[in-house]
Amino acid sequence: MAEEEKKEVRKKRRTATKAAASIGPMVKESIGGTIRAKQEGKKLAYTFIVCLYDEILSVMDIVPVWTENYAGVCGAKRDAERFLERAESLGFSRSLCTYALCGLGFDQWREKLGEMPPDAPWGGQARPDMMLSSGQILCDPRNKWYQAAQQFMPDVPIYDVGLPYPLYEDDIEVADVQDYYIKHITEELRGLVTFLEKQTGKKMDYDRLSEFVDLGERTWNMIWETYELRRAVPTPMGTGDAMNTMVPMVFMMGTQQCYDFYLALNKELQDKIARKEGVVEDEKYRLLWGGGLPSWFALTDFNYFNSKGAVFPVETTYRMIEPIYRLNIPDTNDPIERLAWRWFGYWTYWYDKAKKRPGSEPDVERLIQYIEDYQIDGVVMHEAFSCRTWHLGLIWQLNQLRKIYKPIPVLILGKDGEKTKGKRELPSLILESDIIDISSYSEVDTRNRIDAFIETLEQTKKNKV
Amino acid sequence: MTQYFAGIDIGSTMTKVVIMDSGIISSIIGPTGPEQRRLANKVMEKALNEVDLPFEAITYVVATGYGRINVPFADKQITEISCHAKGVAHFFPEVKTIIDIGGQDCKGIRIDNGKPVDFVMNDKCAAGTGRFLEIIADALGIKIEEMGEIGLEGNHPAKISNICTVFAEQEVVARLAEGVSLHNLVAGILESLANRVSRMVNRLHVAEEVVVTGGGAKNVGLVKALSDKLGYTVAVPPEPLLTGAVGAALLGKDIADKTLKDGVSLETKERSLKEIKIF
Ligand code: SF4
Repeated sequence: MAEEEKKEVRKKRRTATKAAASIGPMVKESIGGTIRAKQEGKKLAYTFIVCLYDEILSVMDIVPVWTENYAGVCGAKRDAERFLERAESLGFSRSLCTYALCGLGFDQWREKLGEMPPDAPWGGQARPDMMLSSGQILCDPRNKWYQAAQQFMPDVPIYDVGLPYPLYEDDIEVADVQDYYIKHITEELRGLVTFLEKQTGKKMDYDRLSEFVDLGERTWNMIWETYELRRAVPTPMGTGDAMNTMVPMVFMMGTQQCYDFYLALNKELQDKIARKEGVVEDEKYRLLWGGGLPSWFALTDFNYFNSKGAVFPVETTYRMIEPIYRLNIPDTNDPIERLAWRWFGYWTYWYDKAKKRPGSEPDVERLIQYIEDYQIDGVVMHEAFSCRTWHLGLIWQLNQLRKIYKPIPVLILGKDGEKTKGKRELPSLILESDIIDISSYSEVDTRNRIDAFIETLEQTKKNKV
Repeated sequence: MTQYFAGIDIGSTMTKVVIMDSGIISSIIGPTGPEQRRLANKVMEKALNEVDLPFEAITYVVATGYGRINVPFADKQITEISCHAKGVAHFFPEVKTIIDIGGQDCKGIRIDNGKPVDFVMNDKCAAGTGRFLEIIADALGIKIEEMGEIGLEGNHPAKISNICTVFAEQEVVARLAEGVSLHNLVAGILESLANRVSRMVNRLHVAEEVVVTGGGAKNVGLVKALSDKLGYTVAVPPEPLLTGAVGAALLGKDIADKTLKDGVSLETKERSLKEIKIF
């Protein structure tokens, strides 16, 4: 892509907070940092976000290379296509997760050349010394991607960490199964530590790990409190910004830099609230981004929503934290066990609430809570075709939400001309595209849907009694 | 002085123009070729000529549809969701659900008190739109307009297992070779399209009265299949292609009436019919 065009894309994107604007350089620096670390002889590990062992890597001085992030960067720079095509020509199906495809195309190219592919975005993705898969329940790329990548890097070992959590059943008490899960997760993490010790030739320093886990826990609380500030009307920060401010949360957890980032964001939001400075001047509609990873190449769509007076004070995407003090983590001096409890507590956080509402599910309960806490007028979701993990369940969640939750009081005109009181569900919008595959996106169609949705929100407001 | 309002609906395959005073006085439906779309001004001129009105006589012009953004002479752009809702409610005041089956897209709209409160859209995939029928009609060597009648005569609709247009096309040809009758084959195609559409609109909790618009509404076999599938009687407006343009004109009238009531002046574009420059 021509340099002017690249500039054009960047110029158009607007963030509401300084914190979000600072993220681009931060990510660039961190990717550059991995390349420098490689030259300095440090150990690099390919890994996935929301892996739970961020703090373990930091203590072992292992530099994480976030492969999903690099694919996202290629997407945001509208430069993923050549890597996707390359993976396709190697025999990988285009309907696989496009992050994985992009990464595989990139890796094969780098390995073949023995250097970074030409004009690799932000200097390229450094060659790892190890690959840490971290399987969660539904995402197959989290296990399969690195196995496939090993074809091109047969000398790079893989360690596969399984981090399960119990699926929701309304007649199963989480407390009945938790000990088993905690034991399993703890053992998985200990196995990882042994693997890393072997790879680095260093012993794990558990006191240092405790300090890092402590800092991680304080950071979770800080993020939660900071994001809750967005309840303010007008909201000082929207989901477009949150797609940037998630970076420290998912790539730097357990570091001082991460904590400090949210502390600064907290202050920035408080200042904006004091000045009544919103994302838009005249806030008309408050929307919930109810899930789906964004189209990284089309983040300006958030600005488009803003231009219609619509803001997103809250999102479920990348809000991968809950307040630690509510997760019932028992007293333990073992930092590995604390991590396991954090994981288990996070994934089962909404289970009890869901049980209290017939027909509900944890993810639906979370939507309802956000709708109420953030005074939401409508729900928007993005169905990214290549990520089955997240996106299949989304539409189901939306349908379920509409079935069990009808908060809008309306008068409905009957056949006889009589008006009767009734309740309606929140309007919702599903956008369809992909995380990085730009060929799945049509700006005209997307904006047409957004326009129609805004008109629907307006009518719903008018109809409300 | 009589006030006139115009609605122009530029869809992906058809362009529709309606001119109204208290009722429809002129309407035109023409294909949206790339040329035609660029020449939306010509379609408008044609509609005006029919009733001998100069463009200056029109109080307000609203553009809708896929190509609405590129109508330089429109005073306002409104999406087809709002325009369809308005247009259909004009003919069916008690409508609760609208299903619009267009040439390249398909939408469902949920209506409360004549106003759209929710919608679903398929603009991504040919299956579930008029394009699907067009391709199949081609493969069968019949005219798309004949499909509805032919399908009605099929008593044992063939099961079409593929919803992907490309595969369905192959399947249809294969079934024909197997000796399945044309009537049953077409009935099967219409049924499969109805299944696809109803699956999409069911997310809206379909409620009566259900109205079908767009080119699909002209296909009697499809309308019947849809009604069977949904379990509701399905109504069709007098001219199902025009509801969007009618709604656009009516919304224009609402805007003009409101400004009059509020005592403010109506903001309009310069009254000249220009060619569309960009697509
Ligand atoms: S969660 Fe989705 S986007 Fe992420 S790696 Fe798995 S399939 Fe790919």
